[in-house]
Amino acid sequence: MIYKNIGQRIQKAREEAGLSQEELATKLGLTQAALSNYELGKRRLYLANIEQIARELNKPLNYFLEDTVETIKTNEKKAQDETILEISKLLSELPLEERKNILEYIQWRKEKLK
Amino acid sequence: MIGFDLTEELLSHQKMAREFAEKEIIPYAAELDRRPGTVFDWNIVRRFAKTGLLGLNVPKEYGGLGVDMLTAVIVAEEIGTACLGIMSAAAGNWLATTCLKHVGTENQKRRYFPMCCGENAGLAALALTEHDAGSDMAGIKTLATRKGDHYILNGAKTFITNAGIANFYIVFATSDPQKRHGGLSAFIVDGDSPGLTLGTVEDKLGLRSSQVGTLIFKDVKVPAENLLGAENTGFLIAMQTLDMSRPCLGGAAVGVSRAAYEIALSYARERKQYGRPIIENQGISFMLADMATEIEAARLLTWKAAWLIDQGMDSTKASSMCKVFATEMAESICSRAIQILGAHGYTSYWPVEKYYRDAKAMAIYEGTNQIQRMIIASML
Repeated sequence: MIYKNIGQRIQKAREEAGLSQEELATKLGLTQAALSNYELGKRRLYLANIEQIARELNKPLNYFLEDTVETIKTNEKKAQDETILEISKLLSELPLEERKNILEYIQWRKEKLK
Repeated sequence: MIGFDLTEELLSHQKMAREFAEKEIIPYAAELDRRPGTVFDWNIVRRFAKTGLLGLNVPKEYGGLGVDMLTAVIVAEEIGTACLGIMSAAAGNWLATTCLKHVGTENQKRRYFPMCCGENAGLAALALTEHDAGSDMAGIKTLATRKGDHYILNGAKTFITNAGIANFYIVFATSDPQKRHGGLSAFIVDGDSPGLTLGTVEDKLGLRSSQVGTLIFKDVKVPAENLLGAENTGFLIAMQTLDMSRPCLGGAAVGVSRAAYEIALSYARERKQYGRPIIENQGISFMLADMATEIEAARLLTWKAAWLIDQGMDSTKASSMCKVFATEMAESICSRAIQILGAHGYTSYWPVEKYYRDAKAMAIYEGTNQIQRMIIASML
């Protein structure tokens, strides 16, 4: 999972730099196939590899690693969805009649989205 | 093409490890398991050092055996057949040296690898877990504060294999706990650093010859050149190190399973009830057939994970799969071996009850099996 996220970042940074896989691979002293495997997350990337790529693509090291951290943060958020918690908190502060209206609205929205 | 014949080199390492296990571990395993208290037996280190096994995966140019992962797994299986507790001392080194090998600078390698290699080799350890940060590594609170050309470490690490007896520790600390995963960095800390002390040494159900304890860091000064990799890359370093260590754990699990199975098999062939060996009962022979099949399956999974690592490929999923499968199998096989031996198996006269107690730990350490399932599930 980690390598896949880093790989996607490499691909993005490479495309932003206007380089083909072959061009970047040459700069890195790799075969095109090896770089392709890095981008697909199939090959293990050591810190030294990421540092080298970061230098070639003129990006800070964190550009490639933060994504990994972000993904974890997102997953953590999913586990305790803050929106639901907030809605639930606000709802509980409303009178019963208002809560019923909102429930009907949610049901109506859900029907529309089907 | 896929082939399963081991090369001459692999066979020779397997033979060396098997002989070492038979001569230098098995004769001491039961005695160390039953010793009262938690005093570490330094003969374990001396015996391992003589064969070079403490530096199993340290590259040859630094004095190690420099084996690839498949060889390491095969060696781990052989040592696992003898005693998982005694093996833990060496396994602590393998964790630390795996980490150092992949992210250490030339200077760090030149300085620290020799401490794990050769006849005078000592121990090393990886210090990751904390009281409130086990599976949730991002919850690490041990603080690393940069001060000039040093970092100052404060905090405590729990359940650390080789705690208090290692020449150096690879310690994961955070620059800011609010940053969670993004704030972690890894440091090499000398075992004799002022301010570093040993806290509680755990008294455990199994792995009784292994020293596991708490490390306390109070204003421990670590030179900036002892930072591993770059600042804030500790999460990647830890994940990668554990991924690459899990196949050895799988190998050890296969080893202890094999030992329990072999005892159960020979017992079932000899033990007579109703005038015939109990193996002639399908109830028993089918149990043994299942055990043999599972061991074979776990070994292949472990070899596959090792092979992926040796090919430079991502082994995350395979490493976790082999850890879950092999370690849960080990507990179950040891349990079935006790069942086949009946009341005998439940006594300390036979080693299977010890195998069972030791094997239980493997589903917990180096990432619980629940965490492994989360990793596998995230990659489906």
